[in-house]
Amino acid sequence: MSRVAPARRRAGVAPRVALLLAWFAVPLVPLLLWAAADRWSYPAVLPTDWGTTGWRQALDQGALPALGRSVLLGLAVAALATPAGAMAGRALALHRVPARRVVEALLLAPVAVPPFAVVMGLTTLALRLAIPAGAGLVVVLAVSAVPYTVFVMRAAYAGHDVGMEEEARTLGAGPRAVLLRVHLPLLAPALATAAFLAFLVGWSDYVVTLVVGGGRLVTLPMLVGALSSATGNDAVVAAVSLTAVLPPLALLVATALLARRGAR
Amino acid sequence: MSAELRVEGLRRGFGGAVVLDGIDLTVPAGGCVALLGPSGTGKSTVLRLVAGLDTPDAGRVTAGGRDLSGLAPERRGTALVGQRPRLFPHLSVLDNVAFPLAVAGRRRGAARAEAAGHLDLVGLGDLARRRPATLSGGQEQRVALARALAANPAVLLLDEPFSALDPGVRAEMHRLLADLRSAVSPTVLLVTHDRQEAAALADTVAVLLDGRIAQHDAVEALHTRPASLAVHRFLGGLVEVPGRVEDGAHVSALGRLVLPCPAPAGPGVLVVRQEAVGLVTAGDPAADATGAVGRVAPRGARSLVEVTTAAGTLAAEAGPGLAPPVGATVGLVLPVAQRWVVAQPAAG
Repeated sequence: MSRVAPARRRAGVAPRVALLLAWFAVPLVPLLLWAAADRWSYPAVLPTDWGTTGWRQALDQGALPALGRSVLLGLAVAALATPAGAMAGRALALHRVPARRVVEALLLAPVAVPPFAVVMGLTTLALRLAIPAGAGLVVVLAVSAVPYTVFVMRAAYAGHDVGMEEEARTLGAGPRAVLLRVHLPLLAPALATAAFLAFLVGWSDYVVTLVVGGGRLVTLPMLVGALSSATGNDAVVAAVSLTAVLPPLALLVATALLARRGAR
Repeated sequence: MSAELRVEGLRRGFGGAVVLDGIDLTVPAGGCVALLGPSGTGKSTVLRLVAGLDTPDAGRVTAGGRDLSGLAPERRGTALVGQRPRLFPHLSVLDNVAFPLAVAGRRRGAARAEAAGHLDLVGLGDLARRRPATLSGGQEQRVALARALAANPAVLLLDEPFSALDPGVRAEMHRLLADLRSAVSPTVLLVTHDRQEAAALADTVAVLLDGRIAQHDAVEALHTRPASLAVHRFLGGLVEVPGRVEDGAHVSALGRLVLPCPAPAGPGVLVVRQEAVGLVTAGDPAADATGAVGRVAPRGARSLVEVTTAAGTLAAEAGPGLAPPVGATVGLVLPVAQRWVVAQPAAG
């Protein structure tokens, strides 16, 4: 009986997993096809002419520098929001926080308030103070990413056993050694997840980049937006969109692998 | 590098409630003392104070004559092993044991070589490459012991290290600890709420009651010559005869019972271990008390026989198949050598 049950459960899970994968994959199929199509006239099921025109046009439109800017933006947002989320999450999970409810509500507020509402006012301020648009953008997006990093890190610290670090201390490890050899390795999966989410906030932002950058800061989403509204050339849009999908996908796989290593 | 551990006047309160009210305790170098007490009496707090994970309100701790007050945990040489084996999940078994050596600045190769020796000591040399998550509870606790020994501690602190294990595994761990003691003779302070465990592992046992060490003595002395009625009861003693001491004898409802050693005159409670009380037939002239059997409770191979006498309910342990039927009238022998008088606690 107990030997049969897991196999039966697995058999029940497989179709559902397949369905879920299809749900994610199906929208990507036309994208893949369009990116490899030079021409795709209406009644045809598959592209009528295969080719790389879309990719060449994407390069001409500055897809590479836009990709670079998006990666930098995502990394910068993650670099700010992850440590901030770790500190806030640790405080909320392990320590007594005065006016806890208010603090929690404030930390969640950026999710509830539409970012452009905040940004409109901030832009004027940033202009007056002569803050470079890039720096302002990173700070604003880091604030919108903090709710996610706090959420992840708080859960991680709630399940964190402080006794592990205490025993490490009695084994001769100073605070620095405990941080590097025990604390960070134990929280690495959660930190990776938080950083991933923060990266995505920077990576996928459109509105804030448009308002703060004034249209001069061209990131990948900006490029996708401009191309899809202007040219009507589906091949180039598909090529740029695919470029925008792949890095987060690679990061997701890396994060999942790290989390699995941590769980073992 | 085992050292004498000395705890003097240790006090600790939490939010107004005094948990430890002046603890004095000495563990000789290479010795093993069990700190025995009911749950929630601050036994673990003693270990945390010794390890430097908590700060006492008063008192001090010395190891090998070195005052540990104010020292950070990592500078005390007091390795702690808790009830849950807290192995680092991201390190292999070998690297867990090598951890104290690595943080002490040893090179990786040398640390691993030495760690392998400690792992062999606990009989798990074969599992060096495994991840902690793949070990059984007993194996994990062995690794935790090896890791603590690898730190070469002046004092090894064990906080209920075996309470979460199955009885069979626990017995195995008791043998292991005995072997480790004869191999490397660390100074061990062991916290437990299990009387059998304390008796099996420690040279002497300190009983912690109401925030103080009620008695620190050899196991047998604790049972046969308890310092107070509270110690007698905590160690499971069931035979108490209230009365008074007069001219080297205890006078009570049972009559005049001669004492083996002098006791101060005045009110006192006669205590005898139920294991030492003899069961005889009602008419036996040797019987010190007579009464009807009220209850027979099996205790493994032996049974606990409760007898209602003139001095209240007394108890005796009967061997396999020797328990009298309920209702039978029997005699009880309180052997002279086993008699002991403790002070009558203040009323209330």
